[in-house]
Amino acid sequence: MLDFFTIFSKGGIVLWCFQGTGVTESFTGPVNALIRSVILQERSGNNSYSHDALSLKYKLDNEFELVFVVGFQKILTLTYVDKFIDDVQLHFRDRYKNELEQKGALALLNSHFAFEDDFKMLLREAEESSKARGPTSMRSFNASLKSQKTVKSMIETKGGDKGKEQGGKKNKNAKKEGKAITTREKAKASTSAQKTEENGNQGLTQEEIIQKKREEFIRKRMGAPVEKPSKSPKPVKEKPKGKEKRVWTLGGSSTKELDYSQSNGNGAHAAGDQGLDAQADPGDLLAVDYESILFKMFLSPKKGAFGGMFGMLKGLVGSKSLSQEDMEPVLDKMRDHLIAKNVAAEIASQLCDSVAKKLEGKVMGTFTTVASTVKGALQDSLVQILQPKRRVDILRDVLEARSQRRPFVITFCGVNGVGKSTNLAKISFWLIENGFTVLIAACDTFRAGAVEQLRTHQRRLNSLHPPQDHGGRPIVQLYEKGYGKDAAGIAMEAIAYARNQAFDVVLVDTAGRMQDNTPLMTALAKLIAVNMPDLVLFVGEALVGNEAVDQLVKFNQALADHSMSDKPRLIDGIVLTKFDTIDDKVGAAISMTYITGQPIVFVGTGQTYNDLRSLNARAVVGALMKA
Amino acid sequence: MEDNIDVEAGENQFQPYLDALRKELEHQDPIFIIGIIISLAVVVISFVLLKYFLSSKTVQSAVLLVGLCDSGKTLLFSRLLSGKFKKTQTSITDSSAPYKAKNEKGSSWTLIDLPGHDSLRPQYVEKFKSAARAIVFVVDSAIFQKEVRDVAEFLYFLLTDSAVSRNVPSLIVACNKQDITMAKSAKLIQQQLEKEMNTLRVTRSAALGTQDGSAGSSVHLGKKGKDFEFSQLPMKVEFLECSARGSKGENGQADIGSLEKSLANL
Repeated sequence: MLDFFTIFSKGGIVLWCFQGTGVTESFTGPVNALIRSVILQERSGNNSYSHDALSLKYKLDNEFELVFVVGFQKILTLTYVDKFIDDVQLHFRDRYKNELEQKGALALLNSHFAFEDDFKMLLREAEESSKARGPTSMRSFNASLKSQKTVKSMIETKGGDKGKEQGGKKNKNAKKEGKAITTREKAKASTSAQKTEENGNQGLTQEEIIQKKREEFIRKRMGAPVEKPSKSPKPVKEKPKGKEKRVWTLGGSSTKELDYSQSNGNGAHAAGDQGLDAQADPGDLLAVDYESILFKMFLSPKKGAFGGMFGMLKGLVGSKSLSQEDMEPVLDKMRDHLIAKNVAAEIASQLCDSVAKKLEGKVMGTFTTVASTVKGALQDSLVQILQPKRRVDILRDVLEARSQRRPFVITFCGVNGVGKSTNLAKISFWLIENGFTVLIAACDTFRAGAVEQLRTHQRRLNSLHPPQDHGGRPIVQLYEKGYGKDAAGIAMEAIAYARNQAFDVVLVDTAGRMQDNTPLMTALAKLIAVNMPDLVLFVGEALVGNEAVDQLVKFNQALADHSMSDKPRLIDGIVLTKFDTIDDKVGAAISMTYITGQPIVFVGTGQTYNDLRSLNARAVVGALMKA
Repeated sequence: MEDNIDVEAGENQFQPYLDALRKELEHQDPIFIIGIIISLAVVVISFVLLKYFLSSKTVQSAVLLVGLCDSGKTLLFSRLLSGKFKKTQTSITDSSAPYKAKNEKGSSWTLIDLPGHDSLRPQYVEKFKSAARAIVFVVDSAIFQKEVRDVAEFLYFLLTDSAVSRNVPSLIVACNKQDITMAKSAKLIQQQLEKEMNTLRVTRSAALGTQDGSAGSSVHLGKKGKDFEFSQLPMKVEFLECSARGSKGENGQADIGSLEKSLANL
């Protein structure tokens, strides 16, 4: 029932593959898609992936640098696949240990892995074990646990109400006794008698119990005419003993304890202390080596102190493989460090899981500690995430569009107040410096002063590059239709105008909108779907924290939902603004690129026209990993 | 007087120790002393040799297989080393193996296959660029027209790298996948690349600096004022055609004769 199973090295050479009966398409495509979207984008936290109609599960073997991938139809739910992959992996490793252990790719190229028979046997075993458990039949009452339970164990409270209920049942029986005596009733009486026996009236015989209950019943009937205790099968609730005063552990009982003025100097220092505290914690990162050494040395009482010390030395010198428990403390520290650097919390945890998956089972070299290996792997993953997955060269693309006699359209979108208009002006300055003519389309028809702001920028840019230098034509023009009109219509007219007047670039400025505002998101999606811009840039500020994830996900979702075609235009790039306001808390860059998979095209570092940069992945990761 | 006595006392304090040491040394076999001197010499020599060997790693002894994703590098790697056809997937790490060149000298060096995926490319090139004595740049000739800008950008990035422009490794551009009928010839690819690199010289130098202030590399390719040509480069550049898959499908031979010849000439 499997479609295919491949085993290939991380260097790309397929060692062995199996194709299920009746499967004709090659599996190279789906497996490549798996590698590119999951492993290379550091999403290997969960080990399954779906591509078209196929569902793929994979497992990484980090000791011998192998990848095991199994593919089956998405509609089938095969329960044995996870265990099956593990079994195959162990089997393969044991069988071909010699070839795999040799360094270099020659061994892999030259040896032939005849794994067919073993694989078929393992597959048969796995399928049989899943079939062995037939459909479970329902249990009868006698076999269930409930029939074994005594009534007493089910009673929650002192027994008053339940006793009443029992009394109620007994009352019903007593009433019916008077009417007719049937065997069924006797059986009921006997079972209820059984219950009352277990009820705790152990000293009395059955008849005496019945007598007692009858008397009680008669008494109650005389006393309270209306009583339907049998009607209340509700679970007995404990009457609240009255509200208890809540005790706060850190609050103290008097206001004197809340007065911190002496211990901290004045309030201004408290903030500084907090900042120092936040920095001291990542500073502890260096102590992790110390900790892990201490862990091994002192906290292994089984081996004894001496043995523990030898273990530590062996861990440093010999080759040992990494396990989940070894990496756990280091990864927790790294996760907290990343979160302190403004990476979104769920992304930091996903990243750490992915790094753990990549390192599990890896054999460390001599004189390397767990912490250094994990930090190195995390650094590589971060650089990999920040590297653009496609070519980013706006000028080259503008030249290409110019040769095709059409304008290059860039659309800016984002939430309110992130710096869309400011960065639009900076980008148009850069473009006119390189000799391109720019048309700015004012599609922000909502915010008061938006059109005037763009007009001011246009005038300033034109004064910096006067029309006399460019054949009498102003190098920047503004296309606006005032306020209140439909933004998508203005954009379409602007692009048509640019094509007629042979402008090189059209920069479309849209209104800021919150990602939860459905009508505005629909309007933005319509603008992008109708006009098909060459580049859709999401403008996000570097100060944003966990919000970045929500913004980007909802923006992409809206763009995908409201597009008519099956290849919707999503966000193509990110402009990271207000980069000068964060010192080294550069985590927002990671959050944004991780969520979308798109590169950061521009970085805004100030308010003047020159404050536009491109991203240097190594520098950002260096700032991120700095303690 | 007392000072003299003190000084003499001081000297006398050490005197017995020195005398004892001298006596000890004289007592010992001279061979022992020679043994000590020899062991010291061995330690010093081993230090020197270790330094030499460690530094000799930067001696260029590797040939890198680079190129865009899906251009056929891993299959070419397999064909060059073992002659066999192997199914391949996208590489996530590098693979290296010693390669024996087919020339009279029988020189052997390391052949390294780097992953071509965009997010992995820069860090692997960074790792191996200083050890390269030759770079084989693999190009997918069939879809070259669509990818010409990406190919040119990668080539530009390689050529303007400071380590590469310092070591000047020879460059072989292997136009792979010639078995497909739509494949472009090496000459056409060379012309297209030259045109593209010409444009890239302008756009790349106008690119924005990075946020920490470091500008891009300042290496200018070719001659200023003239159109870019590969002959203007300081390194030896060669364009050749090859087909890793071979014209007869999976079981046939690969068509890499010209590549093997060029590698033999290194």
